[in-house]
Amino acid sequence: MTLQIELSGVNKYYGAFHALKNIDLAIEKGTFVALVGPSGCGKSTLLRSLAGLESISTGDLRIAGDLMTTVPPRKRDVAMVFQTYALYPHMTVEQNLTYSLRIRGASKAAMKKAAADVAATTGLSDLLGRYPRELSGGQRQRVAMSRAIIRNPKAFLFDEPLSNLDAALRVHMRKEIRMLHDRLGATSVYVTHDQIEAMTMADHVVVMRDGIIEQQGRPLDLYDRPANKFVAGFIGSPAMNFIPATVGSDGFSLVTHVGEPQTIVLDRALDPGRSVVAGLRPEHLTVVDGGGMFRFPVGIVETTGSATYISTATTPEITIVDTARRSIRTGDVIELTIRPSDVHVFDTKTGMRL
Amino acid sequence: MSNTMHNRLMLIIALILAAVYLFPLYWMYITALKTGSAMFATPPQFWPSDPQWQIYGDVWRSRNMGRYMVNSLVIAFGAVSLICVLGVGCAYVLARYRNVWVDIGLFLILMLQVLPASLMITPIFVGFSQIGLLASPRFAVILAIAAKSMPFFVVLVRATFMSVPQELEEAALVDGNSRIGAFWHIVLPLARNGILVSAILIFMQAFGEFVYSKSIIQAVELQPASVGLNSFMGPNTNEWNNIMAYATMYVTPILAIFVLLQRRIVSGLTSGALK
Amino acid sequence: MKRLLSSITDGKGFDILLVAFPLGYLFLMSGLPLLYNVLMSFQEVDMFSRGSFWRPFVGLKNYRDLFAMPETLPILYNTGIFVVASIAGQFLLGFGLALFFWTNFPGATWLRGLFLVSWVMPGLVVGAIWNWILSGDFGVLNFLLRETGIIDGNIFWRSDPDFSLWAVIIANIWLGMAFNMILLSVGLSAIPKDLYEAAELDGANAFQRFWTITLPMMRSTIGAIISLGLIFTLQQFDLFAAITSGGPNNSSNVTQYWAWDLSFRQYDFAKGATISVIMIIFVMFASVVYVRSTRHEVRG
Repeated sequence: MTLQIELSGVNKYYGAFHALKNIDLAIEKGTFVALVGPSGCGKSTLLRSLAGLESISTGDLRIAGDLMTTVPPRKRDVAMVFQTYALYPHMTVEQNLTYSLRIRGASKAAMKKAAADVAATTGLSDLLGRYPRELSGGQRQRVAMSRAIIRNPKAFLFDEPLSNLDAALRVHMRKEIRMLHDRLGATSVYVTHDQIEAMTMADHVVVMRDGIIEQQGRPLDLYDRPANKFVAGFIGSPAMNFIPATVGSDGFSLVTHVGEPQTIVLDRALDPGRSVVAGLRPEHLTVVDGGGMFRFPVGIVETTGSATYISTATTPEITIVDTARRSIRTGDVIELTIRPSDVHVFDTKTGMRL
Repeated sequence: MSNTMHNRLMLIIALILAAVYLFPLYWMYITALKTGSAMFATPPQFWPSDPQWQIYGDVWRSRNMGRYMVNSLVIAFGAVSLICVLGVGCAYVLARYRNVWVDIGLFLILMLQVLPASLMITPIFVGFSQIGLLASPRFAVILAIAAKSMPFFVVLVRATFMSVPQELEEAALVDGNSRIGAFWHIVLPLARNGILVSAILIFMQAFGEFVYSKSIIQAVELQPASVGLNSFMGPNTNEWNNIMAYATMYVTPILAIFVLLQRRIVSGLTSGALK
Repeated sequence: MKRLLSSITDGKGFDILLVAFPLGYLFLMSGLPLLYNVLMSFQEVDMFSRGSFWRPFVGLKNYRDLFAMPETLPILYNTGIFVVASIAGQFLLGFGLALFFWTNFPGATWLRGLFLVSWVMPGLVVGAIWNWILSGDFGVLNFLLRETGIIDGNIFWRSDPDFSLWAVIIANIWLGMAFNMILLSVGLSAIPKDLYEAAELDGANAFQRFWTITLPMMRSTIGAIISLGLIFTLQQFDLFAAITSGGPNNSSNVTQYWAWDLSFRQYDFAKGATISVIMIIFVMFASVVYVRSTRHEVRG
């Protein structure tokens, strides 16, 4: 596989603010990469640096093997879909689509054919003569996508392109973007703050916080083996429960004092007496009728129909997702169990996975 | 009271207020049409019994107004062109960035906006005379008006540029355009209306400018209409009908433009002055 | 060279190029005259030395002479009255109108905009119209005041030293009132309607709502408008030229007219420059207040 985008030792400063800290990232041709993290984590800055809209302070950027660190955006041959779509309001859909071709001096006939071809694949054929203000949100989104596709660029850059759509359309467009990506054999970098979008769409997820890459890898690897407490809490919904605990004297168990003293069984040995944080995913906790690993008083019960969310009346609060319909009420005491292999353990001080 | 009744009552009060406020304008138009004796009648006539329509032609010819108006137009167009050429780019840069340098630039521009012309004319006149600019006085006035009005123009146009989303320009850059191309194809067309309205406001100001023209232009054949009106009004004049006819011909074009573009002018003005 | 070119097409060079020319122009045409003004105020400038830059320095003599003149203090006093009365009149009437038009009946926006004609007209024309309206024997204002019984005899607005300054103030209030009203309307419409609904539910009557919500919410707008009013009032020249020419006997003279009069009628450029320097410092102080009160809005 060839590398399509390569960042090595990239730093970005805004005055004294260190926005990107020593970023290393290699993106293979044909992959769909999601940059995900809370707002202000530097994911958008990183994407804009790829486009050339922000300059990199130190470090190198290569696109398709060519050094692009200081090359202006127009010479990078990347296409970008903006959060606000950035459709040119004074141009028709067709003019929006062919704008980049016009700048490159394409003939009128070539532009017309290219616009027709792209419009056919994205379902815009009937809208070519309209202005952006006459389109619905979903249609605008499609135009923004098509404007990128028509160029056949070295990479597609997406800056939270679905955040202005309603929930149903967002789920639909998620699939559509991924299908387009596969059909075009494109290389895509997709910024989102929504970890579900990242998990469902990407081949490779990059989790960022405060300008550094906390972890990157395949979506399920991030879910199964989060490198630290931050990634563990960020990936997965509802978020992972964190419980302070101490490694038991045998090394194969954790002792906690949430509610009453309880023991969590491990499938691996840790240093006895070490202070740690146990990470338990809500969907991995199972409610059992006796013989459970631990017991909690129930605080609040929320039902969605497909699942029941149970929050305990403890500090910290623990959330459990239960898919069997049980009649559990506030004030009940429930018994829970978890498979030892599903228990994540993090160091209390560093937050790193143990 | 029902809603429509209330609205109607408010509208009537508003019309009365407007009538009171605009009475001076009405008085200008009416006085111009009066005969010499009707003008000084007591009680004054609020509607001319014998309108003198030929007064406009008479005043236009006797005061040589054509020449004055041409000079006003030359000065106003010159100043507006110069201001647009220089000010648009400046406003764009001040709108696009937010840092200390932009703050300093903006502050300096706001400072220059407030300098009263009648106080600045002394050094400008002496300086211009020393470097020989008074030899072409209309050009000198254009330069001075441009310096006086450009800050205001920049403030107004900057507000227009701020309303153009920066993503559009970035999209154009990624689509393969240079900074110049993106500015020319994307930003300027979208800011066109705001720039036009600001230019019209500046034009109106320059069309009525008085201090610089009065001080710098000595030759009668180069003076604009404002100076012409000033020399028409001697200390003990009683030709008020003629003066008002002159004033009518001078301001009616401006008033017509204003009434036609009122909504845009008002919104352009308010977005710049407070934001 | 290539790097310079590419910076202009793709980088910061483009911005610097766009901003350098206008700022350079403003420096040449406004900045230098400003400095030259200060220089002249410390020099002896007469008909003979006007053509040369190297005129004899006289230190603070111009300033001492200026304040030794008998008319200086009355003119400064006039300026103060002119500024305070104009701003008060423009602001209060403008605020009243803005509140009236705030009720937003159909046609309100258009009618409100129409008031601004006074502001776009050439100042000299406004002056000419008011000169005629305020005329002593045949002025329509005197007629209306007599008919309504407010005065018994005619007021000679332009030639009576007690009224000449007020003649200009009346015209100036008419000229600037609409501008005040438009800006105040913008400020009023920016106040969220639900604040008033909340206050009404809390039991505040119309008067209390005005004092406890409208005025506090308008504070920065009012600050900006009053300092803008100060700036515009100190720029007002055309009305003096068109109505009283500062007379009779300086009774309606103000500094901005006097500075011009000294330079261009009496050819005393040094004193003209001196009074200009004093007033410009004052105006700049006002504009700092203006910039400060709009500062958070400037940053958008």
